[in-house]
Amino acid sequence: MLRAPHTFSLLGSIAIVGLLAGCSSTTVTSDEPVEGGVLVYATGDAEPDCLDPHVGGNYPQALLATQYLESLVSKNAEGDILPWLAESWTESPDGLSWEFTLREGIEFTDGTPLNAAAVAANIAHLKDPETGSSTGYLALGKVESTTVVDDLTLRLDLTAPDSALLDSFSMPWLGIQSPTALERGEEVNCASPVGTGPFIVESWTRQDSITLVRNEDYSSAPEDAAHDGLPYLDGIEWRFIPDATTRYAALQSGEVDVIDNPQPNSLAAALDGGEITALLAPRPGASNRIELNSSKPPFDDPRVREAFVRAAGVDEGIESLFFGTVDRSYSVLSSVEKEALSAPEYFEGDLDAANALLDEAGWTERDDEGYRVRDGERLTLSFPVSTNQSVPAEQSLFEQLQATTKDVGFEVILEPLDLSSWYGALFAHEYNLVSAPYTKVGPDVLRILYHSDSTVPAPSGYFANLAQLKDSELDALLTQASETSDPALRGELYEQAQEIVLSGYYAIPLYDQQNNYLLGPDVRGVRALPTVSTPTFHDAWLAR
Amino acid sequence: MTAPETAGTGLRTAHLASRPGARPTVGEIISVLILLLIVLAAVAPRLLAPGDPLGISPADAFQAPSWQHPFGTDESGRDVYTRVVHGAGESLLIGLAATAIGLGLALVIGILGAVAGRAVDFATTRINEVLFALPGLLLALVFIAIVGPGVATTTVAVGLSTAPGYARIIRTQIRAVRGSAYIEAAVVLGHSSPRILGRHILPNALAPVFVLATLGVGQAIVWASSLSFLGLGAVPPAPEWGAMLAAGRPYIELAWWMTVCPGLAIVATAAASTALGRSIQARTRQGDG
Repeated sequence: MLRAPHTFSLLGSIAIVGLLAGCSSTTVTSDEPVEGGVLVYATGDAEPDCLDPHVGGNYPQALLATQYLESLVSKNAEGDILPWLAESWTESPDGLSWEFTLREGIEFTDGTPLNAAAVAANIAHLKDPETGSSTGYLALGKVESTTVVDDLTLRLDLTAPDSALLDSFSMPWLGIQSPTALERGEEVNCASPVGTGPFIVESWTRQDSITLVRNEDYSSAPEDAAHDGLPYLDGIEWRFIPDATTRYAALQSGEVDVIDNPQPNSLAAALDGGEITALLAPRPGASNRIELNSSKPPFDDPRVREAFVRAAGVDEGIESLFFGTVDRSYSVLSSVEKEALSAPEYFEGDLDAANALLDEAGWTERDDEGYRVRDGERLTLSFPVSTNQSVPAEQSLFEQLQATTKDVGFEVILEPLDLSSWYGALFAHEYNLVSAPYTKVGPDVLRILYHSDSTVPAPSGYFANLAQLKDSELDALLTQASETSDPALRGELYEQAQEIVLSGYYAIPLYDQQNNYLLGPDVRGVRALPTVSTPTFHDAWLAR
Repeated sequence: MTAPETAGTGLRTAHLASRPGARPTVGEIISVLILLLIVLAAVAPRLLAPGDPLGISPADAFQAPSWQHPFGTDESGRDVYTRVVHGAGESLLIGLAATAIGLGLALVIGILGAVAGRAVDFATTRINEVLFALPGLLLALVFIAIVGPGVATTTVAVGLSTAPGYARIIRTQIRAVRGSAYIEAAVVLGHSSPRILGRHILPNALAPVFVLATLGVGQAIVWASSLSFLGLGAVPPAPEWGAMLAAGRPYIELAWWMTVCPGLAIVATAAASTALGRSIQARTRQGDG
């Protein structure tokens, strides 16, 4: 049993490659930041329905929210928790009560002061079923009540100790918003959430762009920021360009300054050198996996699951489709999580074993198209694919999976869907296979993804346990791990938990969640926030 | 813009180039050869390309055209030539079926409009005019938005969106034929209305429409490919030309053959069927005169 290699820390993996290369075409050659200018960011992630990340809570919202909201705590590149809006905190010896003390003199951009009551209002907003929160709601599952101790001190009482509480509070989905703004109602707040961040949402032209302007009173940079004061940029134009080829062409032509979700071949070209540079920021939490829905046939039979995993050769495809920019993962956790358990032995391809397992499971006959049949029913697997979340290379990888598993008699039906139809298919349990990214800071993501409680839909309708894994031993391990503060014991419990998931063939890990940014030749000072690797532009400037 | 209208303008210019009964031109021979090849590919793809259009080989991804892979390989190492050949069947089938649907619907509307009296004529003509106001492809997109994507819906959508053009021509043709002297003669002779319609009007009115339909097949193939390109028709990895074009687009800088080869197949089919349709049209028109 191997532990995942984590030879590089988060610091090392967030490599800004050749940032200073290719200055010759610009007029500015010094490293002194230049004030002013509007940076154009083009995202390939889906356009959120709501800019308030409390509602729902997906990655596209996190990308945007990082620009205008801030969290109680942050993380530095080494993974240590840093104070942010909260200056300090204490945990009671039994772990059931926490006190957070807030920084003094901070105001939301609508003039409302940041105080304990404001944070309490945010927690209430997240826990209110009316809000329809998923990510934030699940992260605050153990918070039972809040008490305002004094103007800047808030006490949280928990139903059980929560070793992941600070990790949870570092995430953009738990960003702190102005309580005055929250009172305006969901529709208004979704269009113009108000926080304490370096930028302010000025306007939103649907299906086109969002205009962000500088927060002229900004004073709450986290301590790992490169500078303390106001952002250098006048603002950010946040454009939605869903097509990866168009996005990259826009970057090449200089029409936009930063893009996310580049095609692997574009990324490989940027890593080879040149004017366009790459910022690699693997997401924490879970790796990219394919989940096998164990709640209904044919995957309710572990032999069929194992057969599928053994038949699904993806190594060669990952190598050629991603141009060597990603490594195959054998862990359900991201390689940035030090608790990640890597178990390649469960994923060794073996067609003979797969065939034998299917025979044993009763899928003995084959129809004239070569698919296995049992009692007149074909061995068919439905695989809804989110075209918003799976890049073309990943979609091609799924096509290859369809071809390789056909050899042993599986019929995989790929259904490319837009985000809302895809959620619809999941909510209706109309899937046997699914690949859904999930980002949460820390190994507690295992509890979100594989605890039986997560088969129950959150207020948003989403249930994160897509493998539909219900195992009381696993539940006990995950609960215990989330309640213990001893790092060694936690690591051991998480290792046992991952062993259950991997050896039960509930998931096929593919690679770390790809989170890469390409920067134009004029862009300086962009970094990914070490919490969930969203880019922050507080330190960014344009050398032109 | 619709196929029959474009064809209508070509009708008058093309006849200068060819005379009825004259020997086939080089263009006509090439068009026929291309279409024969495509029909062969559609009917018996294994004859031209024995391989498996879905067979992957990740280690051979993105290979440039060579003797072994005349059109290169795609991102999963599938042979693009094999896929283009096997894609002919689907594209041609969609083209033919869509045209048949469009023509069938147009026949009903057109005949109703021409023979069922003033009120029905008024109604069908107005509906037709409303449909004409919308671009054909937009009509197809609206239909898909309501019914949902897929090969069958794409076919019906393309068929529906071509129907108004055909219907208008059928109505005009029937009305023109109905005013002619031989129909008057048939009426005087006391033939029944259905008999006059079946024996005298339709055969004379529909010949030009079927020529137009030849042109329409090419157009329908292009539209069906457009819809697959947008991800609304055939689903990858099916070897459909439009879907292949879409799959190759992210890699156009790296592997141009993934888009150029299926693209050329679409162009060749559409161009050949259009050229052939126009020649037939020119020949029959002059034959009539």
